[in-house]
Amino acid sequence: MREKLIYLMGLAAALMLVRNLYVILLGLPDEADQGAIYRIIFFHVPSWFTAFGMFVASGTASALYLARKKQSYDELAVATTEVGTVFVAIGLVTGMIWARIIWGIWWTWDPRLTWALITWLVYAGYLMLRRAIDDPTARAKNSAVLNIFSFTSVMITYKAIDWWRTQHPAPVLSIRGAGGAMDPAMEQMLYLNWLPMLMIAIILVMIRMRQEGQQREIESLRRMAHAV
Amino acid sequence: MGYLRQVLTICGKDLRSEFRTKEALNASLAFALVILLLFSFAFDPSSEQINEISGGLIWMAFAFAGALILNRSFARELFNDCLDALIYSPVPGSALFLGKALASYVLLLIVELVSFPIFGLFYNVQWARKFGWLLFVLLLASWGLTVVGTMFSALTVNLRLRELMLPMLLYPMMIPALMSAMQLTTVLIAGQDITGDNWIWVRLLIGFDIIFTALAVAFVETVLVG
Amino acid sequence: MDERNFTYMFYGLAAVWLIVVLYVVSLVMREGKLRRELESVRRMVEDKEAKR
Repeated sequence: MREKLIYLMGLAAALMLVRNLYVILLGLPDEADQGAIYRIIFFHVPSWFTAFGMFVASGTASALYLARKKQSYDELAVATTEVGTVFVAIGLVTGMIWARIIWGIWWTWDPRLTWALITWLVYAGYLMLRRAIDDPTARAKNSAVLNIFSFTSVMITYKAIDWWRTQHPAPVLSIRGAGGAMDPAMEQMLYLNWLPMLMIAIILVMIRMRQEGQQREIESLRRMAHAV
Repeated sequence: MGYLRQVLTICGKDLRSEFRTKEALNASLAFALVILLLFSFAFDPSSEQINEISGGLIWMAFAFAGALILNRSFARELFNDCLDALIYSPVPGSALFLGKALASYVLLLIVELVSFPIFGLFYNVQWARKFGWLLFVLLLASWGLTVVGTMFSALTVNLRLRELMLPMLLYPMMIPALMSAMQLTTVLIAGQDITGDNWIWVRLLIGFDIIFTALAVAFVETVLVG
Repeated sequence: MDERNFTYMFYGLAAVWLIVVLYVVSLVMREGKLRRELESVRRMVEDKEAKR
């Protein structure tokens, strides 16, 4: 059942991506100032949306774990966090490639960029803490608490473009009250491309969750072997 | 026993045992001074540049020195299973946490207040021109550092890699407070007032303290007891 | 061609998929490792139970 769902979603995502790529590359015109490179935004922004969604899910899962103490919430938390860091990496790298052309530099210590990098480091710390704890219950509990602490950095990254004057482009999307500075056709494309990316993320989360379950099985078998 | 009394008892106990040996205090102070010394090789210490980076310099030293104190906070209870005894005592987890945080706070402030004049002396910086505001920033940022640090000290206390994991987790999480403190300290050491754009850093610092104190008090019981 | 910054756009799009593929490869490798580990642990438990 789960396998089928994964394949089905993968297929749908692939079809959508092919169609989107066709429209992005051939259907939409170049941006006036930036030329062709603005097309990175169709992957850059959706990957941040996805990462944000993953971290919200993982924060929620951790809170639920602390409330109910069910292992599956812990599995969800670690899977979403790991996939979230992957999508943060995509967001950072695509942003850097765009910046190389538009700003002439790969990286600038601008608040938005800095916070994004901090977020990545904070969640990498979460994943490292998990590796350092051997006892499964203590691992789930302690990392859940750390995860809730980590979520603050996601919130700061999200608000950074409102709080500081940044070099990073101001919000152009109508959902953040920018009054639709972006062309509606392009904005629509952004969301259309987010859908397959989110689906890929969900597939990865499902696979990672199953692995975490296997890991737990191995650990419990090992304890059993020692007990015998 | 009232809640406050419990907090103060724990804090008193920690401070007393620390002042008997002065282990963490001496190590941390020496470390802060060594770092300040090392920085003098990284750039020309007599140049005008020093005014622009003084805040960053001194807070880097405090952050490193602070990690030493915070590492000891819960780790000192590991011998003879003192931590278990503390957890099973009638003191609630949050009081235990606040007491320990308060003790580390006092130690950290001692280190900072000793380091500042030495820093000013060696780098020829008139650091005390806005002493009131500087103290305000010092108090706020150090509380942020201790509250997150003590919490993470509790999180990592049972790990083999404790000494490594604490800074790994602490520094990225600390950046909001550290960054604010650096910006504000630089401004204040230069003898300017906090104006316009810089208020965001004060707000960030206060917000950081409130949010993380609340989170830590809410979750420390889970971390310690489970 | 390159005044439209086509090359870097291509790099950007390629980077997205490169990162995803790298992560998938790491997942696949972990899958294999877990499977082997699970098997060996299972065998260990069976052995120990047979000996008793």
